[in-house]
Amino acid sequence: MNIIAVLAAFVCGLPILAVAAIALGGGSTDYLRHLAETRLPTYLFHSAYVGLVASLTAAVIGTGLAWLTARCEFPGRKFFTWALILPLAVPAYVAAYAWLDLSQAGAPLDRMTLGLFPTVRGSWGSGLMFALVLYPYVYLLARNAFVGQSADAYDAARTLGASPLKAFWRTSLPMARPAIAAGMALVVMEALADYGTVAHLGSPTLSIGLIRAWSGAGSLLDAARLSLILVAFALIVFGLERHGRKRMRVQATSGKQRPARRFELSAPQAMLACLAAFLALFLSMILPLGRLAWRALREPMASGLAEASLNSLTVAGTAAVIATLVGLTTAYALRRKSVLGTAAARLAGVGYAVPGAVAAVGVIALLSGIQRWLDPTWESLTGNVFPILLTGTAGALVLAYLSRFVAAAISPCETALTRVTKALDGAARTLSASTRRRLLAVHLPLIAPGVASALILSFVEILKELPATMILRPFNFDTLAIMAHQFASDERLGEAAAPALLIPLIATLPMIFVARYLSATGENGASR
Amino acid sequence: MSRVELLSIHGARRAFTKDHAALERASLDLRAGEITALLGASGSGKSTLLRAVAGLEQLDTGEITADGVTWTGPKTFLAPEQRRVGLVFQDYALFPHMTAVENVAFGLTGTDRKSRALDQLRAVELEHKASQYPHELSGGEQQRVALARALAPRPGVVLLDEPFSGLDRRLRGDVRQRTMDVLRAAGTAVLFVTHDAEEALESADQLALMDAGRIIQHGAPQDVWFNPVSETAARLVGDVQVCATIVSQGRAALPIGSVASELDDNTPVTALVRPQGIGLTTEGTLNVTRITYSGPICVVSMEAEDGSSWTAQIPATETINIGDRVGATLNPAFVTLVTKN
Repeated sequence: MNIIAVLAAFVCGLPILAVAAIALGGGSTDYLRHLAETRLPTYLFHSAYVGLVASLTAAVIGTGLAWLTARCEFPGRKFFTWALILPLAVPAYVAAYAWLDLSQAGAPLDRMTLGLFPTVRGSWGSGLMFALVLYPYVYLLARNAFVGQSADAYDAARTLGASPLKAFWRTSLPMARPAIAAGMALVVMEALADYGTVAHLGSPTLSIGLIRAWSGAGSLLDAARLSLILVAFALIVFGLERHGRKRMRVQATSGKQRPARRFELSAPQAMLACLAAFLALFLSMILPLGRLAWRALREPMASGLAEASLNSLTVAGTAAVIATLVGLTTAYALRRKSVLGTAAARLAGVGYAVPGAVAAVGVIALLSGIQRWLDPTWESLTGNVFPILLTGTAGALVLAYLSRFVAAAISPCETALTRVTKALDGAARTLSASTRRRLLAVHLPLIAPGVASALILSFVEILKELPATMILRPFNFDTLAIMAHQFASDERLGEAAAPALLIPLIATLPMIFVARYLSATGENGASR
Repeated sequence: MSRVELLSIHGARRAFTKDHAALERASLDLRAGEITALLGASGSGKSTLLRAVAGLEQLDTGEITADGVTWTGPKTFLAPEQRRVGLVFQDYALFPHMTAVENVAFGLTGTDRKSRALDQLRAVELEHKASQYPHELSGGEQQRVALARALAPRPGVVLLDEPFSGLDRRLRGDVRQRTMDVLRAAGTAVLFVTHDAEEALESADQLALMDAGRIIQHGAPQDVWFNPVSETAARLVGDVQVCATIVSQGRAALPIGSVASELDDNTPVTALVRPQGIGLTTEGTLNVTRITYSGPICVVSMEAEDGSSWTAQIPATETINIGDRVGATLNPAFVTLVTKN
């Protein structure tokens, strides 16, 4: 099993290696030189701008809501604790379609505010959209940090003369800082990987440049080089995230800790808390999805919607199942601490920092390389041309998905496996349980919820994925994301609304399970 | 600011659920310069009482006053940051993102806070670890930083919640000694919570016993040990054997001897007998059933003719075997008679 895990993880890491090989291998091209002199600084600037707006806004929303649900008591807190994770089911580009539609000149928000409400557009608009649907990353990590903090640090600050606000500012918040930073890094990585939102709102980021280089100039070499810049960008953020998580482990001091009791808020305070939590859901889900629903209902059903849904479900379902299997076996390899297994898992883990467009370029580079080698070999053997074009198949698409999202499956599986302690395994062994029985009777019940949420998370991520799908999809193969994007980029929002709406609708139900599972921490025994 | 001369807790009650009160009319006085140990089993309400004094816990009823100023009362509740109590937490609660000296300086104000924090660290002999982070310090060092942090703002009252329970047994005595020296030098009223009888008896000037949310006995440790007010009180501070009997002709008779009593004849009493108060003689009717050695001490379990079991603690130098028939002598100082009310 170890071998399979290593191989699978390695295959998932291959596309990014292929990108690097191509980018570093070829000579210089005019296009790239031209680009460096003209658009590249713009791409870099806007990528940084979008990332900054997205992560800072998400940090404020996510941290504030995390503090409210983790440490305060107010009516509806239990519901909001998990519901606040649900915006992850909404792709940022879907929020962008709705928000632009709501706020542009002559649209409802513009009219109602007599033109005061700014049109959601450009890099700040994109950043805002990312913040709205990606803040749950910060929320989840910060909430775990707040819940895990012993209340004693906060109390100690109080007895040492700090007011409640100062105690929060100087102890609770800094102690949660690594978690918040890790969440922000995830937001930035997702924002860098996005294509649909920045394309729709007109923010020229690196991934726009990458898609232009590929679809406009058709140059694999240039695309690969831009990819490498994008990956370098993302890897810096990825490194920061890893660093943050390491520090979190250091900060989780050992010893007996008293879980924090929640503050009872006064009636007006509780109203405000409720309102804040509701507002987050309203702005990220209710309002934009409501607008799209309104749009979709006034438009005849686009043809091909059923087929696109089926395609989306099929590729996302298949890729998610494979990703989870790879994730689970990799997590076992990690648990065994084999050097090769760890290396392969980390390589696959880097995939998360690789934007979809880059993964797609990597897959093309990889597969066309294999094809170039296969064609003459096959011809010399059979006298015919190799019958299959590897790129442009659903398989290529799934490989790109895997190389990007296996990481999203590995880490929940890894977390789930930590519940199976060495002592539990030892106990089962000394009671002479066979390997089969240990896996079925001990491991499976303990890891099942974690593995299920790995499956759902990767399914939802793949369902939302746009750029890699755009580059790699087989001819005439439409998914919901593709359909929505094509209509939206033709300014046919009415027709884009139905497929755009279907993605979050399909994703929300399984996400409720994940949300409830992920937010279960700190719910037991925290309030006496 | 000045230290608190007298801190009074009066009738403190606190219930977390309807049918269980963590504190039930608990009353206790703390005086400046005195170290009071609050001893009780886990769940007896010790920590709740301590947290109530610190202002981290409200009271349902009852009062806490410091030199006449109400901290917690029917209409008053002074915020913890305004009480100026120094609190050492069980897990120390050091801020993990601050160095030792930053931790100590947290409660200080003014431009010289850093140097005053260093002074305080010197007092606990940790000046050389000032720039280390909590996770780089050993358990004992963390405890001392926590103590320095609590003492640095010159608190009026110092509270310690099981301050030694996280430490290795061999370290504990030494750390405890040093902590008590530092606390005595500070001269404030000190309340420390513990479930370790030995620790309470050795370190405290005053001992308060807590059971089911109440203070059941309060006094000098020796006095509490020798004159417990009830079986529960006796058990909290050490081993004891219990025997019900009736006073007759000015004496209470037990299967292993008798002790004088000033109580009226025919009063039913419970005799609380410490194993240290039983001496053994070579002639008698007690059957030796078990012998346990613990270094210099030998614990002898015996059965009397009426079937009751007794335990004596004698020097391990005496020779005795299982199955021996022995007699007993009772040292009345180690026997307390309590009446059931």
